[in-house]
Parts: sequence; structure tokens; C-alpha cells
Amino acid sequence: MTDLTLGRALTPVRRQRHLSLPPLGASLSILFLLALVLAAVLPGLFTRIDPLAIVPREAFQPPSWAHWLGTDQSGRDIFARIIHGARQSLLIGVAATAISMAIAIALGLLGGLGGARVDRAVGWLLEVLFAFPSLVLALLFVAVFGSGVGPLIVATGLGGAPGYARMVRGQVLAVRNAGYIEAARALGHPTSRIVLRQLLPNAMRPLVVTLTMGVGQAIVWASALSFLGLGARPPAPEWGTMLSMGRDFIANAWWLTFFPGLFIVLTTLATTVTGRYIQQRLEGRLP
Amino acid sequence: MTSTTLAVTDPRRERLAALGRRAGIRLAGGVLVLWAVATLTFFALRLMPGDPVLAILGGTTGNPSPEAIEAARQEFGLDKPLAVQYVLYLGRLLQGDLGMSYSQHLPVTRVLAEQGGATFELTVAALVLAWLLVLLLTVVTAGRGRLIGGVASLLETVSASLPHFWLGVVLLAVFAFGLRWFPPAGSDSLASLVLPAFSLAIPLAGFIAQVTRESLELTLEQPFVLTARTRGLSDLAVRFKHALRHALLPGVALSGWAIGALISGAVVCEVIFSRKGIGRQLYQAVQLQDLPLVIGISLVVAAGYVLANILVDLLYQWIDPRQQEAAA
Amino acid sequence: MNRPILPLIPLCAVLALVGCERAEQHTAQSTQPIHGGTLVYATDREPTCLDPHVAGDMPQVFVAQQYLDSLVSMDSHGQIGPWLASRWEVSADGLRYTFHLRRDVHFTDGTPFNAEAVKANLDHMANPKTQSSTAGGYIRQYRSTKVLDDYTAEVTLATPYAAFLEVLAQGFLGIQSPTALARSRDENCESPVGSGPFKVVRWDRQNQVELVRNPDYNWAPPTAQHQGPAYLARIVWKFIQEPSVRFASLQAGEVDVIEALPPESHEAARRNPDVDLIIAQRPGNPTNGTFNLRRAPFDDIRVREALVRSADVEGALKSVYFGEFPRSGGPLSVATPFYSGDFERSQDYDPARAAKLLDEAGWTSRDSEGYRTKGGQRLRAVVLIGARTPPSELTLWEQVQATTRQVGIELVLDQMSDAQVTSRQAAWDYDIRIGYWNTNTPDVLRIIFTSAFVQPAGVGGYHQNSSGYADTGFDALLDSALATQDAELRRQRYHLAQQQAAAQYLQLTTYPQSTRLGIYKTAHGVRLEPSLAVTYLYDAWVNK
Repeated sequence: MTDLTLGRALTPVRRQRHLSLPPLGASLSILFLLALVLAAVLPGLFTRIDPLAIVPREAFQPPSWAHWLGTDQSGRDIFARIIHGARQSLLIGVAATAISMAIAIALGLLGGLGGARVDRAVGWLLEVLFAFPSLVLALLFVAVFGSGVGPLIVATGLGGAPGYARMVRGQVLAVRNAGYIEAARALGHPTSRIVLRQLLPNAMRPLVVTLTMGVGQAIVWASALSFLGLGARPPAPEWGTMLSMGRDFIANAWWLTFFPGLFIVLTTLATTVTGRYIQQRLEGRLP
Repeated sequence: MTSTTLAVTDPRRERLAALGRRAGIRLAGGVLVLWAVATLTFFALRLMPGDPVLAILGGTTGNPSPEAIEAARQEFGLDKPLAVQYVLYLGRLLQGDLGMSYSQHLPVTRVLAEQGGATFELTVAALVLAWLLVLLLTVVTAGRGRLIGGVASLLETVSASLPHFWLGVVLLAVFAFGLRWFPPAGSDSLASLVLPAFSLAIPLAGFIAQVTRESLELTLEQPFVLTARTRGLSDLAVRFKHALRHALLPGVALSGWAIGALISGAVVCEVIFSRKGIGRQLYQAVQLQDLPLVIGISLVVAAGYVLANILVDLLYQWIDPRQQEAAA
Repeated sequence: MNRPILPLIPLCAVLALVGCERAEQHTAQSTQPIHGGTLVYATDREPTCLDPHVAGDMPQVFVAQQYLDSLVSMDSHGQIGPWLASRWEVSADGLRYTFHLRRDVHFTDGTPFNAEAVKANLDHMANPKTQSSTAGGYIRQYRSTKVLDDYTAEVTLATPYAAFLEVLAQGFLGIQSPTALARSRDENCESPVGSGPFKVVRWDRQNQVELVRNPDYNWAPPTAQHQGPAYLARIVWKFIQEPSVRFASLQAGEVDVIEALPPESHEAARRNPDVDLIIAQRPGNPTNGTFNLRRAPFDDIRVREALVRSADVEGALKSVYFGEFPRSGGPLSVATPFYSGDFERSQDYDPARAAKLLDEAGWTSRDSEGYRTKGGQRLRAVVLIGARTPPSELTLWEQVQATTRQVGIELVLDQMSDAQVTSRQAAWDYDIRIGYWNTNTPDVLRIIFTSAFVQPAGVGGYHQNSSGYADTGFDALLDSALATQDAELRRQRYHLAQQQAAAQYLQLTTYPQSTRLGIYKTAHGVRLEPSLAVTYLYDAWVNK
């Protein structure tokens, strides 16, 4: 890695006059994600209807001009609920991934830097966490701490942490003996500074892609828990909860279940494609 | 290495011995892991709010008398201090006694025996189906040009993005309610296995296919493949006999994780398709605060998962002997 | 959705049901019954134990009705008739019941049915080790049984209990073989033994219970439609939790009968020529939200009535249950003996009156969100929602929440695990508790509204009376209704009781509990037994 950086420093850099557009799939995905973030921050831009407004008279309306994606069993507009649910879902996805990363960094640093014994202990702890399929772990967590958005975020974060922890640990092990780290140590920089300024950023760079895709995965996990009734409880406009509530009516009113699920699929798809695009750019496989 | 003789060792026996050693170490580690799992779940469920006695006696619809409540409390040993309960529990675990389920009044081992089969069936069927789909898609379409590769890749990405709970509901609505090709519920017939297996297999296949395709395309560019082709082997033979073995490795590595994902997915699919199974049992047991059953299922699932990972690890070793030297 | 006569529908439904037969049935009575065959029955909830003496909830009594007989039977008019007991006498003080039993009955394990068996059963229900919530609760007054001779049993009670024969007719108090009862509770839960038209073969958990015909059966009650062994050779009693899946199974003909037909599928079932419906209201206290009178704000009757008046339950029922469930306005459901229709309109939606009542009660100022306040406190009521509360119930209360908000009352739907609901209920830490009580006697009013049941039932603190209503006059009224065997006197006293319960606004009643069966064209003769509207397959046969 040191040779590459040296090499890049020596060759002249050709500045490009313009940014080339990403391919079609990646463009659409990025646009979708941006729209989602916008919907999360300013839902009023997309819909004026109150997602919690109960209008029993208009229950189970199929998609129409008045209600683009139809209404649910209490007459609430589904499109409005999906838009407002975007905030919930993104919040949960980002927060859960953040928690996963926090745990992963802590464990990864501990294992990577702590010496052989500590590393083995951390490895063993990760094995224990890994022995639970994520949903089982999440079920237990929610069982103890109750359902709701808070426990949902932590449970999803816990479920994803072992995977990231392994990656971080591997990265830390790979990076800690790099040349620039040695150089910094020789220069007498304090360990904490080395860790924060040099080690972590370089260790984490390849994980950026995983993180992007991870947010999508976290959204799916959280939706699965809400689907089982263990996450955000109704009437929260969370996509998994909406899917679950609509399940009973699939024969009469398929739109209650179909559209929230469709948005989950599109979000996951978008994060995956975007993540891959970023990865390809970072690896220099694309201009 | 002695100076007198050159020991002629059978490389194959060496490999098996090394595998055996590794298996032994992993199994020992596995036991420790299981102990940690049992402890974790025990304390987790004891921390749950609410009195388990009332949960046992019928919850909100039951009207237990004071004597009934006291009798239940003594019967399930809930009047002893927590530490004592834990030690007693561990002792019984070591004897293979997983206790009595609070909600079903049956030995936990019996519940597991009756329900485990259906989940095992579903998991295996889904895994096999996923691999079939993967092989079909990647072997046939890898390296055949950008358009086909692009379309296949798109298909894989979309499949991997489908949440299995949504896919299950959609498949149920279309094929069971609508077209009536398959029964909407049940755990007995082969027909009732189809839709649940597909809803788990399709997203998994998407994941594995992406990795395998990348790997296969890289392998197909390797020199040894060119050599095989010049020897006159047909394209399909090249792909299947030579390239695949190398390309499968990342997919096999993923399979270990996949089993965990499938078990998680089984929880949801068993609920959606009204199937028997320990997934649905676990979900209900958590809701009913049935501590012995939750611990029993968690232990079995963890044990199965650890075992599966060990097997996958060994399989990986066996397929690719290069890894052995790089290992622990 | 075409609903041109919206406001009239609940009124019509109520009027149609009041004073009529409880069952609405449009099965074509077809040709000769066929002997043999298997009927597949699918229900939503699996019982926790096949012995209905233990615990005691509706899934248990539904399946037990097929393999247990009761001491007496009850017809659709509430009249008690013979069954395993051919006749009986009640002592003048109402404390001793002497039952003269049939001599030709035996259980499917060969044990003969006699007075000893009756004693064993009643003792079993009363025994705390059995953990009998329902049966044991119903015979709290039971003291002992004396075996006078082989076929005569004398039961002694502690206080007069006119509802005794009524509860004895319920499947919860079905008679089992004393040999079987002597086994451990868990063994008996697995495979109870009765004298009924069918017997339990196997319980395949999470899947089904298998029953086969009892070939010796010859003691059907007068409420049955034939005598002798059942027509069906075998019954498969399946558990399919998902309502849409259950209904799809019926439509595909995979199952012959389903129970708990989901309201969203009623229309599709009616339109389907291969499917028939049986819908009957169950007797007892309808589904309701009971108010906790022991704390503010519901210690004030004006606030209670205001909440009731401000909740648009009819509108909610129309959307959540597709208009298939009628509104219950009074404390007893239509199907209950001595029910009076005078109180059905006492809970009608009237937001103007609600506002007036709240003003009178002093809740005149409003806070920033529009809720009423008094002395700085917001007018707020907490509703306990457990994990097993069906989503439709939650949706119903969400809609109620939306309408009460317009009058300025804040309803908080607190969601938690079932165990937490039970402990909060025990601690009286709630304002509204959702519940219902299925039973074939108006004595239910005593269980849910008198001071004797306010005290904790046990160490856990559960109390059947969730309202905390403790009025000595009401207590005396209901005890007096038990003290007499005279039907007219009981009618008068229960009328007064209903009147007082309705006037006190102790509950917000929503809809009556009901049994809803969907029957595929292959099944015939499927009926509901009259006392509790429980599925009764003794007269059923299949044509496949």
C-alpha cells in the first residue's frame, strides 16, 4: 500500500475538466436515495396529507388520483405514510448501522491492537454473538427490553455488529503494521492520535461501501422485526409495520402490503447499487 | 525431519489429520460458545418485565385462584433465588434435561423433536434450491458478454434486495390465493414446502450468485482454463469441471452465514405460511415468556449453526487445500 | 365501498337481533347423512391443554365439546334439559342439588359413568392443583359431593346459586373419566377421556388434533338432532393462525369448516356458492373497554359517560370489521338468558352531550394540543394493549382515539407484553382495560361488577372485576338473583342489574363476541350447540 501511494505521488495527476456521469443504474439509485433523504427531512414536499389522519369512511380505497397508493383500514393515505415512514426507516437504518459500527470499532480495535490474548478473547466473544442468527439475537433483545423504536434500533445494531467487527478487526490487523504507522510512531506521536488520525481512517476506508449497503440491510432487518410486531408498533408509519398490518387484507386490498414492501425493495436496491458504484470508483475501475 | 530417512507421508492422510485436528479445536470452542449462549438467554429472559407465573396460567384470559398461583410458582421453581435457579438449570442442561415448557406443559426436548424436523426440512430445501438457482444462473451466463451478464447481474441484485417476508406474502397471494397452484398452509406435503422454500431461496440465491458470478468470471480468465479449452474440452465441461470448483469457494464461505440467515428467515416464513417449526415456536415462546422453551430453541439453533459453520469451514478447507497453510 | 344507508345499518342489525333467535343460518338442509368420512376443521387459536378443566379458554371448550358430555344441557331458549343427568331436585334452601344419572353411559376407556365420576369431576375442577381458571371460578360455591348410591349424587353448595345448572351445561365443566383424571395433569392435557361422540387420538402440536368416532355413543342430549353414534368417522382439528390463509384454505376446499371467519372475508364467502356461513352471537359480556373507577378521571361518572358518548364506535366497526359486527350498547349480549334490549341505545355516539358533560365536570380549559384540562391536569386515559391483542382491535381503538380527541379527551394506547398487562391490571394501574366474558348466564354481571371480585384472586393480584365498582346495593341485587329458582323473579332482578350497570357507564361496550363458521359444500349438519354457541360436530357429515 505504501508503494502505491508513493507511486501516485510521483506520477503527474491529470485533472479532469468535468465529472463523468455514473452509469444509468447508479444514477437512478443515487437519485432515489437523495429523494428518500429529502422525504425524510421535508416530507411536506411530497405530500400534504396527514399520515395519521383517520378517516373511516375512506377505508380500503384502491389507488386513485385522490390517494396515489390507496388507503389503509383506517382511511389513512398510504403514500403519505410511506413518505413519513421514510424518516423512520432511514433513521433506524442509519442509527442501527452507527451502533453496529461503534461496537465493531470498539471490538475491532481491542482485538487488533490489544495483543494475542485480548484478540483471542474478542474473537471468542464474536463467535458467541455469531452463534445467534441475527433475528434470534434481536428477538431476545426485544423480549427483554420491550418493543418500540429504541430497542429496535439497538437490536438491529447488535445483529449487524459481529459482521462489521470481524471486518474491522481484519482491517486493523492489516493496517497496523503499515509503513506510515511505523513512521508516525517513530516520530513520537501519541498512540491515541495515531489511532484516530491514521489507523482508523485507513482501516475504515474499504468499509465505506459495506456501510452504505449496510444501511439498506439494517432497514430490512428493522422492517422484519416490525413485521413480527416487535419493532415500531402501529400506528407508526414504519414500512415493516405497515406491511404486517396489511397482511390480513391481501385478498381484498393488496396495496396495503405491496407498496411498503416495494419501497423497502427499492431502498435496498438503491443502497446496494450505490455502494457498488462507490466501490468501483474507489478501486479505480471506473473513470 | 530426521537426517536418516525421508518420511514418505501420504498427503491425503495428512490433510485429513489436519482437518480432524481443526475440527476438534472448533468443536471445543463450540461447547464454550453454547455455554455462553445458555447463560445469556437465561439472564436475558429473567430480566424480562412481568411475572412468568401469570404468563403460565393463561395470561389475560385466565382467572387463577390464589392457590393455583402458589401451586404453579412452586411447581416451576420460581420461588427460589435467581442464582440458585441458574445453577440448577445448568445442572439439568448437562444431563440433557432442557426442562418443561411453561406454555405447552411438555418437555422442551419433545417440542424440539416434534417441531425441529419441519424447520430443518425448510432450511435444507431453501439452501438446495438457492444453490440450484445459483448454479443455473451463473454457470450458464457467466462470461458470455456484457448484455447477458448485465441482465443476469441485475436479476441477482434485485433478488438479493427482496425482503423474504414481503416475497413470502406476495408469493402466497399470487400462487396460493390467486392461482391456487399450491396450498396456502400446512407442513405435511411437498407442495406446501414449495412456496416457503422459494421465498427464502430467491434472496439467498441473489446474494450467492453475485459473489459466485464475480468469482467465476475471474476464474474463467485464468490461464488454466485456456489450457483446458485448447485441450478440446467443450465450453460447458470447462465451466463445470474446472472453473466451478475454484469459483465456488466464496459461495461456500457464504453458505455458513447463509444458514444463519435461513434460520432467521424461517421464523418469519413459518409465521406467514402457518408451518410447524422451531422458528415460529421461538417467536411465540418469546411473546409468552416461556423461558425454558426459548433457551432450548436458542441452544439448538446455536448448536446447529456452530456445527454448520464448522462443516462449511471444513468443506472449504477440503475444496481448497491452499488455505490450510494460511490457517490458524 | 357502497354504503348508502350508513346510519341505519347498526340500528337494523340491533333490531334484527333483539328478541330473535341467536343463530342466523342459511345452510340448505340436504339429503340423507352419510356415515363415515373425515371432516377437516380449521380454527385460529390452539388450546394450551385439551382438558377444559385446566385454565379454560374458548379454543379449549370448542374442541372439548366434541369429546365431552355435560351433566345437563341448555337449549336455545335458555331452558335446562337432561343429558348425563336424567333428572334432578334442588333443595328448598338452594344449597343441595340431587342428580339422578343415566345408567347406560360409559367413557371411552371403559370406565362406567356413575355418581363417583361426578364427584371426581367436580372435585377436580375445584382442586387448586388443577389450576382451573374458568370451571373452578364458576363453582366457587361448591363444597362437596355425596354419593347416595351408584347413580345418585348429591352436590352441596355454600350459598344458593341459581346459575349452577346453567354453568354445568357448559363444555368447560364437561365430564371426564375418573380413571383418566387420576393421571397427572399434563398427561390428561395430552389425551383427556370423555364419554362424548368422539375421542382424542393424537395432538400434533402447532398442527392439529385428531379425533375419531366413539362407536358406543348412545346418550346424545335432547338438543342434538339424532341419537346413536356420530356420522363422521374422523375429525381433523387444524390450527391455522393467519386469517387470510385460513379463508383461502376454505375457498380451495382444503378444509371443510373454518372458525373465526375473518370479517374482511364475509362478503367473499357470501358470494361464493360453494361456501355457507353460520354466524351467531355468544352470550355473556360483550367485548368492551372497562373503566377503572378507582382513580381519576373515571371516578367521575360524568367523565365516563362523556368518553362513551364521544367515541364513534359504530363508525369504527363499519370500517375495521367491514360492517359485519353490530354495536353492543348494553352490558349483556343479545344471546344471554334474561337479556333485555332496553339498554342497547345507552351508549350511542353523541359528542355534543359529551362536551356538555365535561363542561359540567369542570374540564373546561384546553391546552395547546386541544385536550381538555382541569387544574393543570390533562384529561387522559390509558388503555392497556397486550401483545396478543388482534390488530383489528387495536385499529378499532385507534379510531376511537381519533374521535375522542375531537371532544378533548386523550386516549393513550399503551402497548406492552401480555405479562405486563396482567401485572398492570393487578396493580390497578390503568384507566381502560379491554376484555370480554363468554358465558351462558347473566350471572356474569356478578363476576365482573360486584365487590366480591374486586379483591385479588390470588398472589398475582388478578381481579375479575376490573372496574372496581363496589356498590352494596348492586351486590345484594345480584345475590338475590341467585337465591331464587323462579324465572320471572330472576328476569326482573337481572333487568334491574342491567339497568344499573348501563346507567353507571362502567364500560365502553363495542361489539358482541361471536362464532363465525365458514362451511364448504362438502360438509353438512354442522351446528352450534345452543348454550355457548360452540361448534358441535355430532350431527355433521361429509360428502366428498
